[in-house]
Formats: sequence, C-alpha cells, structure tokens
Amino acid sequence: MHRAEPITILRFLINHFDAVKELYERQSTEGAIRKEVFQEIVKRHGADITNQFFDYKILKQNGEDYEFRKSYYDFLEFILVEFRPVLPESIEKYYSVINDLFRKIKQGSHEEKMILEARIAELAEQIREFLEQVEKNTLRLLSESRELKANADKIDYRQKLHKASFWIDYYILPLNKILDVNNPHSIAYKLAEVAEYVNQKRLVFLDEKIRQRFEKLYYMLIQVNDDLIRNSKILTNELLPLIERIRTESSILSGWIDFLKNPFRIETPPLLKENMFTPYSKDMYYHTKEFFEQFEIQDDIILKEESVELEKWIYNKAAYKEKLKAQLPVYNFFEWIVNELKQEFGTTDTEKIFTLTSLIFEEDLKVEFQESEQYIETTQSQFKVPKIKIENYGLPE
Amino acid sequence: MVYPSNHRTIVEDLMKGKFLLSSEKAFASLKENEEFYRQFFDASFGLELRMSSEYAYLLSSVTNETLSRSISIFFAILCYELDRDGKNFIDQLQYNEFDLETIERYFENTSYIDLVKATKTLEDAEKRKTLIESMRRRNIVERTGDDRFVFTPAYKVFTDFALELAQKKRAERENKEAEKQIDIWQEQA
Repeated sequence: MHRAEPITILRFLINHFDAVKELYERQSTEGAIRKEVFQEIVKRHGADITNQFFDYKILKQNGEDYEFRKSYYDFLEFILVEFRPVLPESIEKYYSVINDLFRKIKQGSHEEKMILEARIAELAEQIREFLEQVEKNTLRLLSESRELKANADKIDYRQKLHKASFWIDYYILPLNKILDVNNPHSIAYKLAEVAEYVNQKRLVFLDEKIRQRFEKLYYMLIQVNDDLIRNSKILTNELLPLIERIRTESSILSGWIDFLKNPFRIETPPLLKENMFTPYSKDMYYHTKEFFEQFEIQDDIILKEESVELEKWIYNKAAYKEKLKAQLPVYNFFEWIVNELKQEFGTTDTEKIFTLTSLIFEEDLKVEFQESEQYIETTQSQFKVPKIKIENYGLPE
Repeated sequence: MVYPSNHRTIVEDLMKGKFLLSSEKAFASLKENEEFYRQFFDASFGLELRMSSEYAYLLSSVTNETLSRSISIFFAILCYELDRDGKNFIDQLQYNEFDLETIERYFENTSYIDLVKATKTLEDAEKRKTLIESMRRRNIVERTGDDRFVFTPAYKVFTDFALELAQKKRAERENKEAEKQIDIWQEQA
C-alpha cells in the first residue's frame, strides 16, 4: 500500500484535531477507544475520516477496540502536555539499563570500535529517555497537585486526603529517591559516576571519533544533571510542600469534623484563665495601703486581771503516813485515799489523790499490787487504778 | 538583680492569658531567656510556659475551658465552611483578612447551625463579635480596621489540636481494623 506523505498526515491531524483530541482523551481515561465510541465521535465531527485513521497508521485495532499507535499517542501527549504519570517503578528500570551499558562500555573500551560507539549512543539515548520520563512526571504531578489545591471539582476532604497521600506515597517520594544524588542506589548517583568516567575518556581515549562521542555524552550529562537538579528542586521545594499542605489541611478538617460530632465531650486546648494573677496590678499601691490601713484603726483594749480564788492546800506527808500506818494493813490503797479525802474535805480532788499516791514509795511500807482493777471518781474525772495492798515492812512495831 | 529586657511586658501579657507573638519585641527577649522564664513562671506561680517559633503562652491547672471550647467550635465551623466554599482554609487563616460580614454569612448558613445556636458564646452575631473580641484580647486575632481582622499564628494551637484529634482517631480506626483482621484470620485458622 502506498504510504501517505508526512505533510498529508500532519494536515489531516490539523484539520480534524478536535476529533483526534477527543479520541486521545477517551483512550487516556478508558485505556482504549471502544468501536462505538469511535464511530460516535467521528460522526459527530461530521466527516467520514475513519479510513484515514487506519491508512495513515494513526490508530490500530486491538481486539474489538481501537487505540493510537504509540508514536502518535506520545506525540499527542506531548503537545497536549497531558502526560500520564509514570510509576516510579517504570523509571527505576533505567537504573539497570544505564548500569549495564556503562559496565560494558568500561569493560569493552578496547574492543571493537563500532560496538563501543553503539553502546555510547544507546547510553545517551537511555539517559535522554530517563530524563524525559522524569520531566513528564514532574510536570504531571505539579499539575495534579495544583488541581487538587484549587479543588475545582469540589471533591470532599476525605478524597482530597486520599489523593494527596496517594501522590506523595506512590509518586513523589519514590521519584525523589531516584533523583537523590547522595543515595548510591539512585539513578542520579549512577549518572554522576558515568559523567566522571566519560569526562576522563573524552580527554584521553585514543580514537578521535570515540573521543568525540564521549565528549558529546559528557556535555549531555552536564545538561541532564542540571535538569535533574531543577526537577528535584521542583519536587522538594514546591511539589512536596504543596501536596503535604493539602494532606495536612485535609487531616485538620477531618479532626474538626470528628470534634464537631461531639464538641462538648472532647477536651479542648487549655487556655490560662484571664486575670487569675495580677502581679503588676496598677492598683497595687492602693490595695496594699488599704490592707495596712485596716490595722491602723484600733479599739481600746482593756486588760482585766481575773481574781481567781485558789485553794491553798499543804500536803502534810508525815500526818497522812501516820494515819495510814495506824490502819495497816490496808487492802485497797486508793479506796483508803478516797475515804480519807472525803472525810477531810468532803470531795475527792485529782491533784490531792495523786499527791497522796506518793505514799507508796515510803520505804517502810510494803506494797503489793493485786490483779483486779477499779474505777475511782474525782471531782474532775474518772481513773482506772489497780488495787494495792499496803502492809508494814518487817515485823510490826 | 537585673531582669531581661521587656520583663514587665512579658510577665503582664502572658499572665493575662495572651499569646506573645514572634512579631513582638518582647518575644525575642523571652526566647533568649527561655530557660529563665520557664523556671520563673513555674517557681513563682506554678505555670507552664509553652513556646513555639511563632508564639508563647502560659498554662496552669486551672483553665478557661468555656473560652477554649467556644474558640475551638468557632475554628471548626469556619474551616469547614471555608473548605465547602472551595477555599484552602490554611491559606485563608494564614494570609487572608476577614470581615465580620463574611464570618456572619458562614455562621448563619452553616449546616452546623443547631450547634451554633446551642453554644451560648456563638448563638448570635453579637455573641460572635464578643468572642472575636476575646480572641483579640488574647492575641489570636488582630484588628485591621472597623469590623476587619486577621488571625495571628496563635490559631495554630487550635488547628494543631484538630490535627492531633484526626491522628488519634485514625490510629483508633486502624487498631480496630487490625483487630478485626486478626479475628478473621483466627476464624479462618
């Protein structure tokens, strides 16, 4: 079949760009273009262009559905700046490709010139592809984050939180890792290693043509390095804080909604009670003055001497001892004291009882404590006392 | 004894329950003598000094729970309504100037109107104005004109509270889910 002129294909794309764009969008969102969708779109745009899509090899059949050929899809994606975010795992694969090629270039630098040249060219191509993927992903992530921030679709905070966490966890952080030049397992680190080797070889390699290849690769690597730094900066300085902010904001809102479900049961942030302390009160002087003034006004105090009649009793030990000895043996010493005092004063005073008790310490009296106890009452109180038997010490006089 | 500069302002403001902001002169002196003031407030009044890079405030065992709850409900509803309005509420709290009319519109039309009416300090426009004035006295808002104001960084005490609450709830939910999963495994075993 006769292949169409490139300009014819381009003109076709220009003339029917609305239909092309719509088809591209359907494939982007649905993964493929269903036959009936294709027919409906083509019909709506009012031209019979079905054949051209296949003659110009823009679309191809995939089972029952249609899809753009990869070159056209990438081209449309590029001109529409609508890149699908590529999973970092897909970008990560460049590590092994670049590493393998680099190892072979190092080992085979003395081998066949042509294969070395081809490997250098392939390495450059892989690096270019890698950079392109990174740039596309950064752009896409940036546009996703900005869209999320603007929240044009008015999605709720849960979805927002979910989306923000999704972009951070599955795309931004892994991509950041790939671009981390300090991580020995990152592609950025590997590229720095490649650049160092290439820099030497571009100066010392014997074959001039190969030397030129190395030289070209070296300058490309410098440019790639700058571009990676720029992308890394977008990720860490703009994208990550932006999306982290969306995530924080959604978390705060989720906290508020939980709080509003039960606002009087949840403990809120403590706040100091106002005016609890006034260490520097402006009225301090007056308060102090008032405080001291209350002591300045004093009533006259009259002190009266109370005349208390004190009963004067002089303990005549000898007389009481005489009385006790005369009645010996006394079987209940405290009973004897109580009786003696009652006889003499008519009352039993506590002080007098204790004073008379001292008689038991007289050396010429034999004191014997009984097991039983008794209560005696004085005018002031009641005491529990033992029964004490008093006898003469030694033979009776 | 020589006291740090702005000592009186630091003590007076903080003990009135105010947030001392990093934009104020006294804050630098407080920051410079943080350890001294920590001990000073603790030994003199049994108060705890809390500091962040943007504000400082005092805490005691006796707190103004009513005010704190009212402010929390105020922020919760405002953030919710701002978000519903398609606005980034953190940006709004941080950079936007508010007027009472806007606040009124949010509070009068909120789906939490029952809660607003049930909260004495928020129930009507006058009470809400009074609450905003209480926040101004505490340095949580700064007046920029008649019926216009901005929030100071002290609002973060409340948004941090919401964030912690969300994290706590999430942890609780995750624990429950994990327990549920363990039960399923045990049943299967």
